[in-house]
Amino acid sequence: MAGTKRSKRFEVLESRPVHLDGFIGEWIEVGLYAMGSPQDPKPSIRIEGGKVVEMDGKARADFSMIEQFVADYAINVKNAPEAMAKSEVEISRMLVDINVPRSECTRIFTALTPAKIARVMDCMNIVEMMMAMQKMRCRQTPANQAHVTSAKDHPVMLAADAAEATYRGFKEIETTVGVVRYAPFNALALLVGGQVGRRGTLSQDALEEAFELQVGMRGLTSYAETVSVYGTERVFVDGDDTPWSKSFLASAYASRGLKMRFTSGTGSEVQMGAAEGKSMLYLETLCVMVTKGAGVQGLQNGSISCIGVPAAVPSGIRAVAAENLITMCLDLEVASGSDQTFSHSDQRRTARTMPQFFAGTDWIFSGYSSTPNYDNMFAGSNWDITDVDDYLALQRDFKIDGGLRPVKEEDVIAIRNKAARAIQAVFAELGFPPITDDEVEACTYANGSKDIGDRNIPEDLKAAERLMKDAVTGVDVAKALAKRGFRDVAESIILMMRQRVAGDYLQTSAWVASDGTVYSAVNDANTYMGPGTGYKIPDDRWEEIKSIPWAIRAEDI
Amino acid sequence: MAQSNEELIASVVRQLMKEINGGGAPVAAAAGDGGVTAADYPLGMKRRDLLKSPRGIPFEELTLENVESGKVVFEDFSISGEVLNFQGNIAASAGRTQIALNFARAREMTKIPDERILEMYNSLRPHRSTKAELLAIADELQGKYNATVCAGFVKEAADVYERRKLLKGDLPSTD
Amino acid sequence: MQINPELLEKIVTEVLAELGAAGGSTAAVATAAPEAVAGIKLTEKGPAERGTDPKEVVLAVSPAFGTTFKTTIIGLPLAAVLRQVFAGAEEEGIHVRVIRVYHTADVAFMAHYAARISGSGIGIGILSRGTSVIHQRDLAPLSNLELFPQSPVIDLPTFRAIGKNAAKYAKGESPTPVPTNNDPMARPRYQGLAALLHNKEAGFQDRSKAPQELSVSFE
Repeated sequence: MAGTKRSKRFEVLESRPVHLDGFIGEWIEVGLYAMGSPQDPKPSIRIEGGKVVEMDGKARADFSMIEQFVADYAINVKNAPEAMAKSEVEISRMLVDINVPRSECTRIFTALTPAKIARVMDCMNIVEMMMAMQKMRCRQTPANQAHVTSAKDHPVMLAADAAEATYRGFKEIETTVGVVRYAPFNALALLVGGQVGRRGTLSQDALEEAFELQVGMRGLTSYAETVSVYGTERVFVDGDDTPWSKSFLASAYASRGLKMRFTSGTGSEVQMGAAEGKSMLYLETLCVMVTKGAGVQGLQNGSISCIGVPAAVPSGIRAVAAENLITMCLDLEVASGSDQTFSHSDQRRTARTMPQFFAGTDWIFSGYSSTPNYDNMFAGSNWDITDVDDYLALQRDFKIDGGLRPVKEEDVIAIRNKAARAIQAVFAELGFPPITDDEVEACTYANGSKDIGDRNIPEDLKAAERLMKDAVTGVDVAKALAKRGFRDVAESIILMMRQRVAGDYLQTSAWVASDGTVYSAVNDANTYMGPGTGYKIPDDRWEEIKSIPWAIRAEDI
Repeated sequence: MAQSNEELIASVVRQLMKEINGGGAPVAAAAGDGGVTAADYPLGMKRRDLLKSPRGIPFEELTLENVESGKVVFEDFSISGEVLNFQGNIAASAGRTQIALNFARAREMTKIPDERILEMYNSLRPHRSTKAELLAIADELQGKYNATVCAGFVKEAADVYERRKLLKGDLPSTD
Repeated sequence: MQINPELLEKIVTEVLAELGAAGGSTAAVATAAPEAVAGIKLTEKGPAERGTDPKEVVLAVSPAFGTTFKTTIIGLPLAAVLRQVFAGAEEEGIHVRVIRVYHTADVAFMAHYAARISGSGIGIGILSRGTSVIHQRDLAPLSNLELFPQSPVIDLPTFRAIGKNAAKYAKGESPTPVPTNNDPMARPRYQGLAALLHNKEAGFQDRSKAPQELSVSFE
């Protein structure tokens, strides 16, 4: 290169953030291919005696465990002959035709094979996919979910951030850990902080499957999400599960009155080196169908932690929108990703989110980072708290309900302080390592873990272990809060515990309002059929979205 | 074997829900299920009369005050098999048949202790159990907990794991 | 952080070669013969055995570690990686026994296998690209004591600390976990490449081949 005369223009372009992103070419043989790979199976179905005996060119005797599960549990064999006889273009047009109701689309989609569904998606461009999302998402009112994590797994900071996140409008919050053994404390911090910010918050702790169920059983979390499924048998087994074990687990959650959804995403199979030469979207279709077959109400997808893989290949971000859409078309709740960093370019990362943001999904983000990304222990979200005012401006610019609301600094300080004091009280009452007033103060005003001190980690870990060994429950936490004067927070935890008895939030796409009412696809079903129908932003909500505090108002001048 | 289990599951599903094909109108749930449909949803607001803890404490009494007095304990905040049945009907009446089947398994599991459920789940993970071990779990589900749907499901898994070499001993590394 | 251009070039070349050779291509097979890597010699000694020495931790490396792959994703020589892990453990009076796993390239399962045959019950797993786990025998395979999932942020001092902490767990201590570096922008930069690398490494997997004991000599 030395001595080659460079174009100044090209030198400038190469210094742009987008050039820090990884872009790779397609590699068909291993499945580094977004959608519509020439190696994807051709759609076909043969049914004998009410049973699928051939699917997408493969005989039943050769089915992988995933294919067998999908064939037996996720395809409506009565409707299959009719549905499979339609052309892919015809089916894709149903999705964008405002005169075809959502119910008719789901009736057809639940009778298609995986290869057929993947091909239908390949008939659509991104705008058509957005039109389809608007009609096909299960719940009419969109909502949003946040990540609440800490690079220090600092319980006080986690409680304060959880409170701020839910106060800002996130209806679900999710945590994970830097150090696995901190997990019980993280769950506790989100339980308490989440209810301080908004009564009715659903919280979860993303961890190893059996542990996640255990903390849920104890009432320290109210739902689970990181229950992963995969599109090839090898990767499913490397994930230490099968469709049967995962379905059993799903039923176990329901049997304890806990909401749950599965997780999957394009790119996971090829990332784990076993895509068997199939496109990312074809394999993801199998994942959505496994979820459907398991009787799980919803799915988090949109590539999720593998987003760097589809984002690196052509048409990858379009495939990510397609996988969200497939989930909706199979009548499942979708938590539509945008929860992981994939680009250095502000343009690319905004554009990646817009299809879901504009069309609206059940959970637009399945993890908007409510902390600075350096504290995001999911390795960074596509948007973090630093971007939140941009997000509020976009809601206002386009008159979109993205689930968040403008807030005042003094209110946020007050809510963070209350959450920090509440977790301090719980720690004191349960005999965990003390939380000092200085820690409460620091976490009230901090932006991230760089602004606060360190805990005695080995002592915290011992106490976290004790929390599990002594089987501390949500009821114990409520009692501790009530005893130390946080009666309203205790009431909120009891309200969430009561959800386990009623089971309403086990239905598709549910969230819990502050009065305890559950809204889901059952009582808030999407009715979109063209302009003037479907979700309309209520007037008071629009006033809220408009009122960003930093806007200059004529009456103030 | 697998065939008969699938038939069994199918019959349970049919019994639990009025399967809706063709996007027809919701069918009223069978008598004895409280006649619960999507119209009764959310039960926590509209049908509190149907809700109680597994040992019979009414929903309205599951309060902080009663927790503090000791009248209500952690175990009272558990879903009952009956309520899972209602929710299964609601899902089915909205056309979500697989969810109803999931809740049918869940209803059976309400009788199984936490620890045992976790153990059974771990046994169903790949390369953890021999076929005989899985069949023993199926027998336990059927015999001890009267969990017919779950037992059929585990038997089906045993057959699939055998065919796909997912049993214990099918890998060089399992010992 | 700079991407290692040599590594990248090598992979691209190999991928292109493979694409060109499509049709008659056979799965790559790792050789059992001693491999001379810059600064390190790994020799297979036969199937890995269950150990009884409470003063050992077992380190499981991936199928092509030190053979096809000689550096981590950010270009740290794998010889240096091993040296640091060994040194960290030795500071605590614990020695490291190394095995190569063929039946999986999943780092959690590798480390869990290592823990199960480790005399102390503590195992480490390291993928060629650098992803690492410290594991304990009685944990679920996908749980762990400490996980280092972001290969682009694992530097040599971190590898030394991994060796040291694994040794402390082996001695029954409760060390402060190694501080995890979190670089939210590592994924955008490296994930596509990591997938490419993993697919290369997965080509060396052999579902039916038991883990092998390795002798390690530094040159």
